Amino acid sequence: MATAVYVPRVNNNDDEVKLIELKAAVGQAVAVGDVLGVVETDKAMVDIESPAAGFVLAVRGAEGDTVTVGTVLVWLGATADEAAPAEEAAADTDTAATAAPTAKALALLAQYGLKAEHVPASGARLSAEDVRRHAAAKGLKPKTAAPATPASAYPPPQEPGKAVALQSHERGMLHTVSWQRDVAVPGYIEVSYDHPAWEAHANAVSQQHKLLLSPLLPLMAHRLVELAAKQPRYNATLVGEQRHEYAQVNLGFTVQAGEVLYLAVVRDAAAMAPMAFVHHLVDLQRRAAAHELLPTELQGATIGFSSMSRWKVERHVPILAPNTALMVAHTVAPDGSGVLAATYDHRVLHGGDVATLLRKLSQPPKD
Amino acid sequence: MNLDTAAIVAAIQAQVIALADQMGIDASDLGADDLIPATGYIDSAGLLELIAWFEKTYAFKVPADDLTIDHLGTPASMAAYVRRAKGL
Repeated sequence: MATAVYVPRVNNNDDEVKLIELKAAVGQAVAVGDVLGVVETDKAMVDIESPAAGFVLAVRGAEGDTVTVGTVLVWLGATADEAAPAEEAAADTDTAATAAPTAKALALLAQYGLKAEHVPASGARLSAEDVRRHAAAKGLKPKTAAPATPASAYPPPQEPGKAVALQSHERGMLHTVSWQRDVAVPGYIEVSYDHPAWEAHANAVSQQHKLLLSPLLPLMAHRLVELAAKQPRYNATLVGEQRHEYAQVNLGFTVQAGEVLYLAVVRDAAAMAPMAFVHHLVDLQRRAAAHELLPTELQGATIGFSSMSRWKVERHVPILAPNTALMVAHTVAPDGSGVLAATYDHRVLHGGDVATLLRKLSQPPKD
Repeated sequence: MNLDTAAIVAAIQAQVIALADQMGIDASDLGADDLIPATGYIDSAGLLELIAWFEKTYAFKVPADDLTIDHLGTPASMAAYVRRAKGL
């Protein structure tokens, strides 16, 4: 059975602490007393030590995050292949919110027969996710069906069949699409782009460096990184009623490897020169193709880029990675016309922001 | 594992043909000295799968800096590359 390691209370008055160091990585073996992370408040720093020997199954935070006291930071298991629980419980009911619940949260509180003051909030307002997490931890079932949750609005299939457990990458995709459905407010915009100009730019770079693989998509992704670094709103998410602008640009890039779709992450991509970025991303892609990516290379995306040009589709509407506000989608239609599009979180960005970015991305950089 | 040049070239050609077939492309006329990226038979994603297969089949690693057309551009150059790596 998995063991939860909770975010500790450092000061009586602080319900949130900053995670300044994270030493636990998924798959890592740990011993009792190993330091998994370090949190701090204005007054103190505290090591979070492992309460048990085992393996890290999941990590619910990243360095620099502000985390809520009493929430799970790390799940430990006796074996590395044990599944981490999908929902974690708040350990400290002292963190119960006095914040105003959102409309969705209010509806869920009524369904579970809960009061807002008994449910810990993870942000400035009590969210629907907070209520679901609390209810799952308490083993509560809704008294009425949740109309906002399509999965519960429909009966299970009546025709005979067999239940097949999802593999880890399939569970990851389920988490991603559920985050978009339950948390984000997605919008979609597309523009045509100057494919011949970009292709000429990529060919020139390829010939100069005698590259085996076309650098087109990595160069476009790097241009996106440059634009996001200049305008932090693109590289952000919403926490409560605050926009959380990430300190660095971690570019998530989709890689299809057989039946598995990875989101490989180039961390601190804005610190890389274009060719260093291209080489790094190609290295991630080749290791994804061999299913050799490290868990840490699949975490922490702050913005995304995806292409379906391989399939020559005319349009694809990508899904936002959790806690991101922008996923750019690229394709080249069968007639050779280029399309750049984006799914964006309308809570963070508006259409004009996204259209402006796509227009800038539609032309290669002028060297 | 047969490390004769002709056998390696034939294995690489067969792999390219199989990868191209997944995308509905016939690559059966791929020559030993054809520049694979220029043929259009497989795209970058296909090339990545080809390199992953190449490393696994011949049990070695290609350094990132060697992902160039000089080293791995054609079936013949790939065969020469792996033979050098094996000290042949």
